[in-house]
Amino acid sequence: MKSDNTVTISRYRMATLIEQARFALIHAILLAIAFVSVMPFVWMFFGSFKSYVELTSGESLVPLAWTVDNYRAILFRANFPQAFWNSTIVSLIVTGCVVLTSAAAAYVFAKYRFWGKEQLFIVILSTMMVPFAVVLVPLYVTIADIGLNNKLGGVIVPVLFSTFGIFLMRQFLEGIPSDLIDAGRIDGASEWWIFSRIIIPLSTAPMAALAVFTFLFNWDNFLWPLVVLTSPKSQTLPLVLAGLRSLYWERYDMWAAGSMLTVAPVMLLYAVAQKQFIRGITMTGLKA
Amino acid sequence: MVRQPGDRLTETRRILRKPQFWFGLAVLSPLIIWYVWFAFSPILRAFWMAVVEYKILQPDQSPFVGLRHFRMLFEYNLFWVSIRNTLVYAAVFYAGMVPLALFVSACLTSVTRGRNFYQFVIFLPVVVSLVAISLLFKMLMNPQLGQINQILKSVGIPPSQFLTSHETALYSVIGVDIWKALGFYVVILTAGMLNIPEEMYDAAKVDGAGIWQRFWRVTLPLLGHTLTLVSVLIVMHGLQVFTQVVVMPSQAGGPGNATYVMNLLVYNEAFTNLRFGFATATAFTLFIFVFVITVVQLRILRPSWSY
Repeated sequence: MKSDNTVTISRYRMATLIEQARFALIHAILLAIAFVSVMPFVWMFFGSFKSYVELTSGESLVPLAWTVDNYRAILFRANFPQAFWNSTIVSLIVTGCVVLTSAAAAYVFAKYRFWGKEQLFIVILSTMMVPFAVVLVPLYVTIADIGLNNKLGGVIVPVLFSTFGIFLMRQFLEGIPSDLIDAGRIDGASEWWIFSRIIIPLSTAPMAALAVFTFLFNWDNFLWPLVVLTSPKSQTLPLVLAGLRSLYWERYDMWAAGSMLTVAPVMLLYAVAQKQFIRGITMTGLKA
Repeated sequence: MVRQPGDRLTETRRILRKPQFWFGLAVLSPLIIWYVWFAFSPILRAFWMAVVEYKILQPDQSPFVGLRHFRMLFEYNLFWVSIRNTLVYAAVFYAGMVPLALFVSACLTSVTRGRNFYQFVIFLPVVVSLVAISLLFKMLMNPQLGQINQILKSVGIPPSQFLTSHETALYSVIGVDIWKALGFYVVILTAGMLNIPEEMYDAAKVDGAGIWQRFWRVTLPLLGHTLTLVSVLIVMHGLQVFTQVVVMPSQAGGPGNATYVMNLLVYNEAFTNLRFGFATATAFTLFIFVFVITVVQLRILRPSWSY
């Protein structure tokens, strides 16, 4: 009897041991993946403070002699401040407009009844299916026709409305009870009051997620600005950064510094608004 | 009761008095104007452009050429090269991404402590500008000076030519893309896995299913819609690659034509060779690929149940 008991206990201990070992293994795997995800950025950060000779000799990860010459060269010779300003303008204007237009359109599509509503919504959604390459040339012709090629407006105007944003916000707003809106109407509130005082405060979470996405997309967008913005004065950050390849041929120290300048604002935004990023993705992922 | 014309008038008056009508009008009219101008008409114009010889200075005079662009495409060597590269890219990207993302998500779901931290770090490459990432890996993958070859050398694996060789360039670009996009799909899949009721796993455990069986018999089938969505997104992502093949090789699409993909062909035909009609015809073939593969996936993967 007694020996039986000890066997059970040791078997139980074995099970917990195996369980613990498995946990340790999973954590080790996750740590390794996290390490691989972050290491290139660490290398880039330190590399941007190294001289060309030190960077290419590659002895130590941390610079032996710290220098900011790369940043100085980039800032004063490569048109970076202008590009930084252009990117900021484009991203902020587009983000503000997209959040507002998506929320308003989603409110109308979620809570109003009118003739042809569903058909209109489906036609709008169907534009998401078309790869951007199909409209690349016709959209360029449209933009050139209204004289916006080579102007920041040419990058801003084609993204003032976002089909994805309208879809995301509508999914969310359909969950808000209509009674709330009716109560407001009975109390004599105007539609604008209902929209700005009831709908918007209730939907700050998806709006923040959408804002973060839109900002990021426009900050990083490459293909369309490459087509529209040809003169150096009007170019956005990704274009100027890609231009470093020919401006500073194989000068890795310059590339690292330029990349750091492009990446830093986004990393800051991510550190502050991490929840919105993750929530935004999961929201679309689970409801689609 | 016979409807009087007066009824319709009062009906209209009643609608016009509603504040909703004016708010809806104020929202929908700019929306419709914008969509017609910048979404619908470019799509329709694309159909027209593909079948005419587009004259840039006098678009109205463009002569109709029917399917000639498509016939020219089929005889164009670079077109077949770009199709091959695009399909290889999408297939390898898919084959690498799906198992890896599922594996990492399964790991993330099974830990509670530190999950947010891991997610934070793994998602980091997703938020960073693609051009910066491409430059960064162009440096790391330099055959002589790059860090990756030095690491490979130190553990005894023969160094690779990466972006400078015909054989490895496309796969190098795919590898970087998997590294960058992994976090995006992991976040979606992890949310989907956490949504699966715990009782399912308990029931499986009682029936004596091990970790492996629980993954194949519970997690994977119950992921359902999430897996379908991720699968569709991954294919679309792979078929529409552009930025990396412009920034990473020494010359866009190079070395030779090793990384020449369909989006690059569209871009070059349109804005280097100024053949607008031909470029749009190329884009339509890409559209057909995206469309067909997406529809097939939705047919195969759409689950017929829900919980």
